Amino acid sequence: MGRPLLPILCVFLYDESILTLRVKMTMIFAFANQKGGVGKTTSAVTLADGLARLKRRTLLVDLDPQGHLALSFGLDKSPGLYRLVCLDEPLSEVVQSIRPNLDLVAGDKQTEKVKRQITLADFRESILSDLLANSGYDVILLDMAPSLDVLHINGLIAAEWVVIPTRLDALAVDGVKEILTTMAEIGQNGHRYRGYSILPTFFDRTTRETLIQFEEITRIFGSNVWPPVPQDTRVRETAAYGQTLWEYSPDSSSVEGYLDGRQRLGGYRQVLGRMLEVIDG
Amino acid sequence: MVEAKKVRRTTLDPAVADLLKGMQQKQTESQLPRREREKLSRERAKIQSRRDQRATYDLPRSIREGLRVLAEDLRLPASQLATLALARFLNEYQNGSIDLGQYKQPSRSPRYDWNLVFPEEIVFAGRRKKGS
Repeated sequence: MGRPLLPILCVFLYDESILTLRVKMTMIFAFANQKGGVGKTTSAVTLADGLARLKRRTLLVDLDPQGHLALSFGLDKSPGLYRLVCLDEPLSEVVQSIRPNLDLVAGDKQTEKVKRQITLADFRESILSDLLANSGYDVILLDMAPSLDVLHINGLIAAEWVVIPTRLDALAVDGVKEILTTMAEIGQNGHRYRGYSILPTFFDRTTRETLIQFEEITRIFGSNVWPPVPQDTRVRETAAYGQTLWEYSPDSSSVEGYLDGRQRLGGYRQVLGRMLEVIDG
Repeated sequence: MVEAKKVRRTTLDPAVADLLKGMQQKQTESQLPRREREKLSRERAKIQSRRDQRATYDLPRSIREGLRVLAEDLRLPASQLATLALARFLNEYQNGSIDLGQYKQPSRSPRYDWNLVFPEEIVFAGRRKKGS
């Protein structure tokens, strides 16, 4: 007579449940490049909405005094970040629910006051990181200003992964190197990044200059280069209509990438896949 | 002894690698004489038009070899011979003149219920007999 299987099975299932138990963690991405006009806001908006559509609870935080995140969703600029940092209002009070699973901490010119407040504070580099801790979101995306000030440093310290959108022109590699230098300096002070990615934007595969720069950044940064986002006029129209690319032109090449035989190469849909790989480990 | 030059290999995202390869190929082609560029363009169009007709199957080496040898003997494209063979099989199967039951064995794969296990005389039928 063999031993009864039930107790063994129960122990096995019990152990499995322990193994699969996971603490819910928030993954914070910073979209940073000290160069302006490289597609930071468009990338943050598109990828945040893409994640929200995949049922990930997502928060977008506007660290840029231009306040373009709110405009991108057809909203007015508002001092969300100022209320969070300077008026000590809780995160849940300052967020605006803008799409299903997607919230926004908006910004406006009052964000300049946030910088001054942070400059005067103790432990100033980690203020944003502390305010976003235990937020309950699956993913937080920080849209950074094209500058190198205390708020920028706060964003880089709060982030676990830095996405560096960049155009492929002669100065592109230099701009990327600048951000990586700043990240290395922050790393020397004890902050640990899980990684970084370079996101080529405004990509035009027909020009020789694009090829030269693309070869250069792939040679230097290897697998840290994510699939590029093709240049597309509809991206500019999208912001004007206060819609995201998934709403306005989900079939555009900036979303779907280039058609190469049967496969698609580049585009925000593929980039979203890379982000999910990072989030889900 | 001269050491071979070491080339540093960079791992790339697969989509980035494919895109880069395509762009480099186009760049190289753009420097060719016009006639060669047109020839390459025609070849590409031909390959693209045939793309939907392509399929990949795992076949025993003996079958592939048999087909290749026969195609060479008859001076025919091997794809056309494979098409004829498959079309005849499908017709005969639909007529009921082929019974797969004798080859079927239960599969342990979650994807399939059955495997076909062939006797050697079928698998090696593609081999050309000496002197024939």
